[in-house]
Amino acid sequence: MLQHFHPYNLSFKKLWKHPFLQWAIRICVAWWLIGNITPITSRAPLGDPHIVEAEKSHVCVHTLLENEVFEWKIQRSLELVREMGADTIVQFFPWAYFEPNEDQYDWRQADLIVRHAENQGLRVIARLGFVPWWARPDIESEFSTLNYLTDDRFDDFADYAALFAERYAGVIDHIIIWNEPNLTFEWGYRPVDPSAYVRLLQTLYPRIKEVNPNAVILAGALAPNNEVRGSTAGLSDLLYLEDIYKAGGADYFDALAIHTYGFTDPPQAEPSDTALNFRRAELLHDIMLEYDEPDTPVFITESGWNDHVRWTKAVRPSQRSIYTVEAFQYTEENWDWLDQLCIWVFRYPAPINSYPDNFTLVTPEFKLKPIYYAIQAYARGWQRSDTLWLPPPEEKETD
Amino acid sequence: MASPTRRKRNRLALFTLFCCFIGSGVIAGWTVRDYLLNRPIIAKYAFPHGEIRIGVDASFPPFAVDDGTSVWGLDIDLGNAIAKEIGMPVRFVNMGFDGLYDSVIADQVDMVISALQVDLTRTAEVRYTQHYFDAGLVLVTPDSSPITMMEFMQGYRIAYEFGSVADAEVREWEKRIGRMQHQPYELPDYALDAVRLEQADAALVDNTSYRLYLRDHPEWQSQYRHVTTEVYSIAIRIDRLNAWKLVNHALTTLKESGELDKIIAKWL
Repeated sequence: MLQHFHPYNLSFKKLWKHPFLQWAIRICVAWWLIGNITPITSRAPLGDPHIVEAEKSHVCVHTLLENEVFEWKIQRSLELVREMGADTIVQFFPWAYFEPNEDQYDWRQADLIVRHAENQGLRVIARLGFVPWWARPDIESEFSTLNYLTDDRFDDFADYAALFAERYAGVIDHIIIWNEPNLTFEWGYRPVDPSAYVRLLQTLYPRIKEVNPNAVILAGALAPNNEVRGSTAGLSDLLYLEDIYKAGGADYFDALAIHTYGFTDPPQAEPSDTALNFRRAELLHDIMLEYDEPDTPVFITESGWNDHVRWTKAVRPSQRSIYTVEAFQYTEENWDWLDQLCIWVFRYPAPINSYPDNFTLVTPEFKLKPIYYAIQAYARGWQRSDTLWLPPPEEKETD
Repeated sequence: MASPTRRKRNRLALFTLFCCFIGSGVIAGWTVRDYLLNRPIIAKYAFPHGEIRIGVDASFPPFAVDDGTSVWGLDIDLGNAIAKEIGMPVRFVNMGFDGLYDSVIADQVDMVISALQVDLTRTAEVRYTQHYFDAGLVLVTPDSSPITMMEFMQGYRIAYEFGSVADAEVREWEKRIGRMQHQPYELPDYALDAVRLEQADAALVDNTSYRLYLRDHPEWQSQYRHVTTEVYSIAIRIDRLNAWKLVNHALTTLKESGELDKIIAKWL
């Protein structure tokens, strides 16, 4: 009878026992159960493993995939890296993301990145940093940023680093400890402290080696600057590196990570301790030689030029393309101590909305910039047209 | 015992009283809320350090430049004008772009005025004021040209800077309107030269470059239309509501009085 089907004609008790509702609940529960036991189909299937087709082995790029939401974007980014001819990436693996609560790990994003990088045939250099909230002072007592790490929490960071190194051993064998510790804001808005950084290396080095003896520990990743001792902004990378050696840090890293930017100079510009340019890396290497470390390999983990229209430290997009390729050529011909030259930065997941956007090779919407093609042509040994733009317009002479 | 009519009347009176009570409560609450929201904000409480500390990346001419002896530019003039409007002394803290947001979050500065575009990913941490300049791309043509919009550009010669945002934008527009004749140059000024010298039909450049170009070529009669938007705003920590209100109000006053236009015209 139709009236039985009308819910207003039923009490709650009767409605609850109505066979239609009972079956509807059963179907929903079954649907939920099946959905949970069936493996989720990946929206970015891996496919056959790739290899990087490149003629140059030192072309590398820094990626920022830790904040990427969509798996297909991670895959697309790494595909484009491979197609560009770079066989190595530097990728940030923030501690705060993967251990959001003490002893609770969530490796999903890291697994995605590593799986796709491996599938594209890329070597990964991991950069570790970013302190989770629980390892920082209580926000009520002291305001701190994600770069605030005190000595009493070094062991917690070492726990994370060791677990990370063990989990990805064989795939990730290069690990950078911290980023630009010679800048105050990268050191949690505290005065920079090379001896504390050495203590950090001392804590992490044996823990990582214990779980992955093949791991290459990279230290430094110092920001190029000319700040003097006592500056509130930081300390010169040259002075900081000397302090690392003086504090006995040499025994706790296997390779040095260097950041060197060209700013407005071409890559061939002479280095000096007062100038910031691409060949500043040579000054850092000289310090390594002073401290008798000739065999320690060097990785330039951040480098490049910016082509923002108004930033005073930027060049034109045309110059950027030329300088970047010339930098690769210069290092290939002159720096036999260099392992990789990594360009900052491949792509941001979202725009920064200021000049840092002009360090990228690819836009957030995956539009390839002319510099991408310039690096690709160099890395893959392709011929490239030199007439990319027109000469400046001139006034026509009138009779 | 009261009659049913009287009981009904009593109930009605009680209900009316109850409604009056609720109504007056709502009105009183609304009045208090209105007072709290609109009461005059005391500047010294909004800026408890006794000065307005402004974070700026002074490597961005003509918005902010550090020449070794002082910092100057559009953003500096704007910061001074806002501080004058609020009635507090001002101090500029020069830093790299990377540290701007961290410094305002860590209370190293009260606000950031640094040609800062609104970034939606930051809105959980900072509050942006109304914008004070739009630096987006503009389509520039001679003022006698019938071309006033990108939609009309099919088949015409378009000049732009090689590798720039304009370069990418032109390619995007081509997907919609069809082929254009590309004229890439090394500099946005060359693209504008090409239009001025009648060697291109239009140029796509950023608004700042266009305004700076016009300072060097005041005789050139041109027209422009915005193609993209890139607005600059001031960022203040999310919990500093009173500071945000004061700055926003000061900006409104500067806009209404024409002072903001004067500052922009001075530099652009």
